[in-house]
Amino acid sequence: MATNLKLFLSSKPPPHDNYHHCTRTTNLSRHLLPFPVSNRTFCSLHSFRSSKNNSNDYSRSRRRSYRVCNKAADVQSKDVSDAAEVTVLAGRDRLLKILRLEVQVPTENIRNFSIIAHIDHGKSTLADKLLQVTGTVPSREMKEQFLDNMDLERERGITIKLQAARMRFMHEDRPYCLNLIDTPGHVDFSYEVSRSLAACEGALLVVDASQASLSIFYRVGPFSLNYLCYYGLPWFQDGVEAQTLANVYLALENNLEVIPVLNKIDLPGAEPNRVVQEIEEVSSQEAIVIGLDCSNAIYCSAKEGIGIKEILNAIVQRIPPPLNSAGRPLRALIFDSYYDAYRGVIVYFRVIDGTVKKGDRILFMASGKDYFADEIGVLSPNQLQVDELYAGEVGYISASIRSVADARVGDTITHYSRKAEQSLPGYKEATPMVFCGLFPIDADQYSYFLSYYLPQKLHCYGTFLPSSVISLIGIIRCNRFPDLRDALDKLQLNDAALKFEPETSSAMGFGFRCGFLGLLHMEIVQERLEREYNLSLITTAPSVVYRVNCTNGETVECSNPSLLPEPGKRRSVEEPIVKMVGDFFDQLKSRSKGYASMEYSFIGYKESDLIKLDVLINSEGVEPLSTIVHRDKAYSVGRALTQKLKELIPRQMFKVPIQACIGTKVIASESLSAIRKDVLAKCYGKCGDISRKKKLLKKQVIAAGKKRMKAIGKVDVPQEAFMAVLKLEKEVL
Amino acid sequence: MTCECAGIERKKADCERVEGANNLINVFGFFDRGDDFADCIEYFTISALFSFVFLLCFFAAVHETSEDDPRISNYIQILIREIEATQTHFDQHPPLQTIFFGGGTPSLVPPRLVAKVLETLRSKFGLCLDAEISMEMDPGTFDAKKLKELMGLGVNRVSLGVQAFQEELLKACGRAHGLEEVHEAIEIVGSCGVENWSMDLISSLPNQTQEMWEESLRLTIEAKPTHVSVYDLQIEKDTKFGSLYTPGEFPLPSDTQSAKFYRMASRKLAEANYNHYEVSSYSKNGFECKHNYTYWINKPFYAFGLGSASYINGTRYSRPKKLKDYTTYVQNLEGGLVDIQEDDVDEGEMAMDIVMLSLRTSKGLELKSFREDFGSAVAVELCKVYEPYMKSGHVAFLDYRRREITEDEFSSLVLDDEKLENEIGFIRLSDPDGFLLSNELISLAFGVMDP
Repeated sequence: MATNLKLFLSSKPPPHDNYHHCTRTTNLSRHLLPFPVSNRTFCSLHSFRSSKNNSNDYSRSRRRSYRVCNKAADVQSKDVSDAAEVTVLAGRDRLLKILRLEVQVPTENIRNFSIIAHIDHGKSTLADKLLQVTGTVPSREMKEQFLDNMDLERERGITIKLQAARMRFMHEDRPYCLNLIDTPGHVDFSYEVSRSLAACEGALLVVDASQASLSIFYRVGPFSLNYLCYYGLPWFQDGVEAQTLANVYLALENNLEVIPVLNKIDLPGAEPNRVVQEIEEVSSQEAIVIGLDCSNAIYCSAKEGIGIKEILNAIVQRIPPPLNSAGRPLRALIFDSYYDAYRGVIVYFRVIDGTVKKGDRILFMASGKDYFADEIGVLSPNQLQVDELYAGEVGYISASIRSVADARVGDTITHYSRKAEQSLPGYKEATPMVFCGLFPIDADQYSYFLSYYLPQKLHCYGTFLPSSVISLIGIIRCNRFPDLRDALDKLQLNDAALKFEPETSSAMGFGFRCGFLGLLHMEIVQERLEREYNLSLITTAPSVVYRVNCTNGETVECSNPSLLPEPGKRRSVEEPIVKMVGDFFDQLKSRSKGYASMEYSFIGYKESDLIKLDVLINSEGVEPLSTIVHRDKAYSVGRALTQKLKELIPRQMFKVPIQACIGTKVIASESLSAIRKDVLAKCYGKCGDISRKKKLLKKQVIAAGKKRMKAIGKVDVPQEAFMAVLKLEKEVL
Repeated sequence: MTCECAGIERKKADCERVEGANNLINVFGFFDRGDDFADCIEYFTISALFSFVFLLCFFAAVHETSEDDPRISNYIQILIREIEATQTHFDQHPPLQTIFFGGGTPSLVPPRLVAKVLETLRSKFGLCLDAEISMEMDPGTFDAKKLKELMGLGVNRVSLGVQAFQEELLKACGRAHGLEEVHEAIEIVGSCGVENWSMDLISSLPNQTQEMWEESLRLTIEAKPTHVSVYDLQIEKDTKFGSLYTPGEFPLPSDTQSAKFYRMASRKLAEANYNHYEVSSYSKNGFECKHNYTYWINKPFYAFGLGSASYINGTRYSRPKKLKDYTTYVQNLEGGLVDIQEDDVDEGEMAMDIVMLSLRTSKGLELKSFREDFGSAVAVELCKVYEPYMKSGHVAFLDYRRREITEDEFSSLVLDDEKLENEIGFIRLSDPDGFLLSNELISLAFGVMDP
């Protein structure tokens, strides 16, 4: 389905005869661009180029051919929903653009902003509305969460990857270019947030006017916020307001103009005034710093389209334009990138200084690699080619970049011939907080199990997904290791917080030890690998990084329980101060009714009495199930773990003991009873009996998985079991 | 044409007879052919070359049958036509060694018709002097006179379908006979001096208690049959029984319970000097069912009759299960239109048959001949696959003198493939633990053979 986005080349001065001009561009307009749902997919612009060459006079008169504006010819003002006034404005805006052929938007008319919000406070809805009202996306292509174009994002209703969208807006008869850089709300993705904020001059702080307490904001010392933002909070599950606060601080730290927006005022329970007070309030207690001036907070309802115009106006009026430094040598900050199978690495950047033109020879300052910019363009939100981008603008570059490493996020782009003296500060390295092993398995052999587990997979969405059943000793080594490496490489380009290094396990063969910002991050990566790269993976139980002080004075960082130094060699073990991966915040919030004093001085490590808890199944140690726990919790964790494993492991032909041990001492034990009976009584030549029986047994073979034989005498342990470790800690603690 | 008409007639008669009958059919699901019963009145199967099977089933028709029920004589006629039309596949095949009349209730067939069938077989294939000729007989379908007549014709083995010794269980499993008929039948068999007879029992019936099972076993032993078959109730999904009950759930005994029944049978019958020579068969010394044994050692056999399956030249062939189709089949056979393909026998399939069948016997899998037929690699893999199950007591490895190989010996053998295949003579499942899990264990072997 082709969309009706048509391309116009703008020229200056605009022809007087509008009608004539329109006629001339008809052939251009005919090239309907097949804009896909996802802007990850390349939209071909070849026809665009060729037609351009055909109209010579046109190119001659073209001064700044980046003037690409889009319009949705079929969108009438009535299409844009409720907010009548805004609608008219937007409609007229588009009409104007068509007729007047749009003059260039000077730097002072550019606004770069992002939206900060709690999960469920309506960020994506607001973004949708902005796109719609400005006519960026025609109504009929509008769908919920327009910018969240990963299937995963839609399914879960969250934003994972930051996205950029360029909008046009007429304010006081002047055209403005608004670049919205959407940000993920979940704290696991705060690294992404910091990236989008660095490319902005302002931010909308969206707060749900119907939801009460922001109080949890207040007890958070600003000091820990860096930690929050840059290190991620692995133990955050979701819905935690502190992340928003963290993002606000981040915005303020970046000298961003923050515009408070009270959303959902249409709801009966909305109390915008009280919420405003909360945001403004400066507590007498030490830590609270938010104290935003909310005198001109905007009340809106993104759903109902109330206050959208005000928001757009405020963006124009209150957010400062980018510095006009087009004259300086080019410096552009890469804030995102992804790998396109046809065009190589596609880089998203914000031009800080100077300008970049199509065909320029560009240099990536950190990697020192240079390329010719084959194509540059803006994101509206689909990619639209332009010829030149100026300081303050946001866009993308395609330069046939083969290697992911050549154009890292955070790197600075400059001109090869006119180098900038200094690169931009870039980003702090994201420090992974949660680690787990990822091992590829052969999908075919396990297709049975996949289908078997599929219903459960849907059922437990949002928790950990048993991707397959694995056999521990089954040695599912398969040759998909290179595929996994390749996939991780590409994903890392897109997700700089992801870290990985090769790991071997006696049980699972070759794989990677991967680091994530948090649990959600981990889950998302696992799913993306499976979906986008068609891999089947098993994941070991997640773990944080422990610091082990050895008797020889060395300090070892250890994220893999199986690599924990022998008890004799370690003097003490330190853990990150808050108990890991549990469901800390949920508890904190419920127990303190939102008033928890988060006295966690997040920074640093604390020495704790930690021990390694091993699991033996059928008297064999199961490395991936080992976990590091507090000594005083070991008993309850061990007991819960063995019980859970008993539920999860299918019964075998013999009794299977399941034990939890510290060293050689068994602290909890369960046993899996044997299958009692599986026999077909009759087997005679009569009536096809033998063939029938053989068929039955063959089915049984298939059901057991053909590799079953390799697991003989050993026990098949479902992937779920690994996740049980994590879940249990949560339950037990 | 006549056949066609007769078929229709018969069908009508069936329908009149009916609902009650239908119930029975389904309830008989565990009879491993329940589904076949729907349309057929009679079954007749012969397995030959060495064996011969005759199957007849009459379900509820019991009381309506008379000596000259046309349905029986018509069926027998078709059957005889099939035997006569069948090509003998060996020019000089040995005479038949065993004949088995089974499938439903062949004891309802008038002896003179049985005589006809036997005569036809004898003239077509020849019959050993000491051939084992068995007949399945249900209590209440025969009297001393009939049995004597049959014995006079050469029937020398009786398989008595007692199933249970409790009135309520007999009813529950839809048997036409009651307890009285059971005792009567046992008496007749004894009084007629049948030397070789077998008693069939079913365990794990709905509401069956341990006491009941114990009683059944006790009474069985007291009746002194030379052979006992103990079947575990199999619930087939698509039968009425299947829709009424779920395996392992009340009123059916739990898995643990039925495993107990199995063990108890194994123990009690062993105490009474019965050899547990196959998963569900027990016999006094020298009274193994020769006929069934042919199946289990994967020897070829002929089969005749509705729904019967033959195994000749490595090809299993099942006849139609509906009388009408079967009649057509026989017609085609006579016209030379039936082509029982003798395509290349799939070696893997053959190997699976052998493993499946032999592991169900106490003799076990003879490794040497298996190795010669299918190669060392598979044989070695088989041994290795079962190693852990030797340790858990489900599988035993024997040397050529049938001495059991110990764990220690095995662990040294397993290091050297050549030694392994030379030293191990047999693989067998243990009784009762290995037999109880025979499906699991056999499918492990299948996994090795057909990866």
